[in-house]
Amino acid sequence: MSILLTVVTALVWGLLLGGISRNVTAKIHGRVGPRVTQNFIDLWKLFRKTSSIHHGGMFWMAPLFRITGAIAVLLMVPVVVGHNINYNMSFAGDIFLLLYIMFFGCLGMALGAGNSGHPYSVVAISRGLAQMSSYELSFSIAVVAVAVGLHTLRIEGIVAAQQAGVSSWNIFRFPFASAGALIAFLPMQMAYPFSIVLAPQEIPIGPPTEYSSRFLSFMFSGRALFSVAKLLLFVNLFFGGASSWMALFVKTFLLYMYAIVVSSVFPRFRTEQSIKFLWLVPTTLALVDLVRVML
Amino acid sequence: MYCNQPPKKPGDKKEVLQKITNMARANSLWVTAYGTGCGSIELRPLGTSRFDMERFGIAMRPTPRQADVLIISGYLATKTLKRVIRVYEQIQDPKYIMALGSCTINGGMYFDSYNTLNVLDKYLPVDVYVMGCMPRPEAIIDGFSLLMKKIKEGRAVGWKHYRENLDYYRENQKQIIKNWDLPDYNW
Amino acid sequence: MIDKVKKELEIRFPLLKLVREQHNYLHIKVDKAAAADAVLTAKTSLGFTTLQLISAVDRIENGAFQLTWILENYDEQEILLISAYFPRKNCVVPSLSQIWPAASAFERELFEMFGISFPGNPREGEDFLLEGWKDMPPMRRDFETEEYARRTFGERQPREHTDPRQYIGDVVGEWNTPMGRNREEEK
Repeated sequence: MSILLTVVTALVWGLLLGGISRNVTAKIHGRVGPRVTQNFIDLWKLFRKTSSIHHGGMFWMAPLFRITGAIAVLLMVPVVVGHNINYNMSFAGDIFLLLYIMFFGCLGMALGAGNSGHPYSVVAISRGLAQMSSYELSFSIAVVAVAVGLHTLRIEGIVAAQQAGVSSWNIFRFPFASAGALIAFLPMQMAYPFSIVLAPQEIPIGPPTEYSSRFLSFMFSGRALFSVAKLLLFVNLFFGGASSWMALFVKTFLLYMYAIVVSSVFPRFRTEQSIKFLWLVPTTLALVDLVRVML
Repeated sequence: MYCNQPPKKPGDKKEVLQKITNMARANSLWVTAYGTGCGSIELRPLGTSRFDMERFGIAMRPTPRQADVLIISGYLATKTLKRVIRVYEQIQDPKYIMALGSCTINGGMYFDSYNTLNVLDKYLPVDVYVMGCMPRPEAIIDGFSLLMKKIKEGRAVGWKHYRENLDYYRENQKQIIKNWDLPDYNW
Repeated sequence: MIDKVKKELEIRFPLLKLVREQHNYLHIKVDKAAAADAVLTAKTSLGFTTLQLISAVDRIENGAFQLTWILENYDEQEILLISAYFPRKNCVVPSLSQIWPAASAFERELFEMFGISFPGNPREGEDFLLEGWKDMPPMRRDFETEEYARRTFGERQPREHTDPRQYIGDVVGEWNTPMGRNREEEK
């Protein structure tokens, strides 16, 4: 029951965040912007469209992979500290499993979209995997730095260590690792300077080119879920977790806005620039803190 | 345990569902980003801050797989018609066609061209015509609102019509496309 | 500078006729047998290395196609036009696609639109713009465009009047402009 509640809340919140982000982007452009509920309307419309596209089994499975990966991440992250929703799935060392399973959805997506045979999908996937290997590194180093510094491998332990006021948040205790992870957060959200996977000017929408109607609606909900899961993870790792639903919504909202605002004022990197930047800057930042903690 | 009552007619429930779906369809029109003629120039300002089509839920999709609306923007050469048919048949149901300009209505200023078709309705089912040469973005938004109205009332059934009268449309298409090499599959 | 080009060409092709000359622009007409030679000379020894266009004009009164090679010397900002008349019946023109690969596209277009044959072009006869065209080449002046359009695209329903006043009334925007008022005074 609590699992269902978590998933439904995350889905609604993710779609709402998407609508808000479209509005914010529109305001930055000087436009009126769509309704806040636009994403729900799109989702329902896509769900009710017919589909007659067949590209083999993997193509059908990919949206499911994406949703499964997103839900798995969501269930392993504590939602509200102290709430019983907290104990969805939690065990010692879950942070390493999480680091692996975060990319499960993306890999499933890569297999499925590769099966569709559209050249844009294939190009986007090769770019995406190259980029993933680079931001995953800096994010992992940042997480390891935090875990070593706090002597715990449980996400709950990391959250619990940050409950002594704002100054105990990991973003202040581990500023370099947090900065590295926050830079790695942008490509995870496909935000603009690193948006080489969707790249609207070259490979119009990247991997989901061949996906239509119901598949696309699954993919959209998977994306909304996954983005909320990532937000939750970051809130838990670096921003002291959320002690109430209100704090949860405010913190995830602010973190999401950070990605949106950065995204709407930057142009896009080329693939090699993006990868070079991600290998150099956030990795070095995270390493600084790791070395500091080790010493 | 037996049921002694006749099964309930799902009519009412389905009707409500259909209505909700129609509302959703009307408020989330995704347009295939495919310009066939001069009118596609008038489509670009729709995305800008002055006309902002996103407030109606209209968005451009670069792939026909995800789109709902195909805009025939102005004169249509027979060579382009072949591609347009291809794109139209790749769009998933329900799908709508909006035709811009007098060229698609009766040929317009290209009525005596050797390569530009005159009456688009013979080859593809058009749901909404927007007149003008070329229609301004305001007129296109007006056309969109007309299309939304039609969808909400459930009258935008060009795609069903195309399915039912496929032979008629195919015959007309084959008449003007000289090297017909489209596959005979559809949707 | 263009004088030097002119003198050079006059020495090599004494039969050439001067059509038009400006400070950086020269249009000459040569005999059809010397056309390819003139173009080659312009490229190899006069520095006109860019082929901008190959154009054809149907001189039906003379029973000839006028072909014009438009060349550019980018360093000197000079343009050279070399024209030649080729007989209209079974028109055969030497191909330049071995020298300028870009010429291949122009030649294919002329083959489709005028029926001018360019032996030596490896891609001659491939579909370019008119896919599967079986009729007379449409840019020839004895091609009846309107009749063809009516035959192929069917009857259309045009307006019965061409006077916009009947549709938009007397006091609508455009007709109150200074231009519109002048036109009325003329009457």
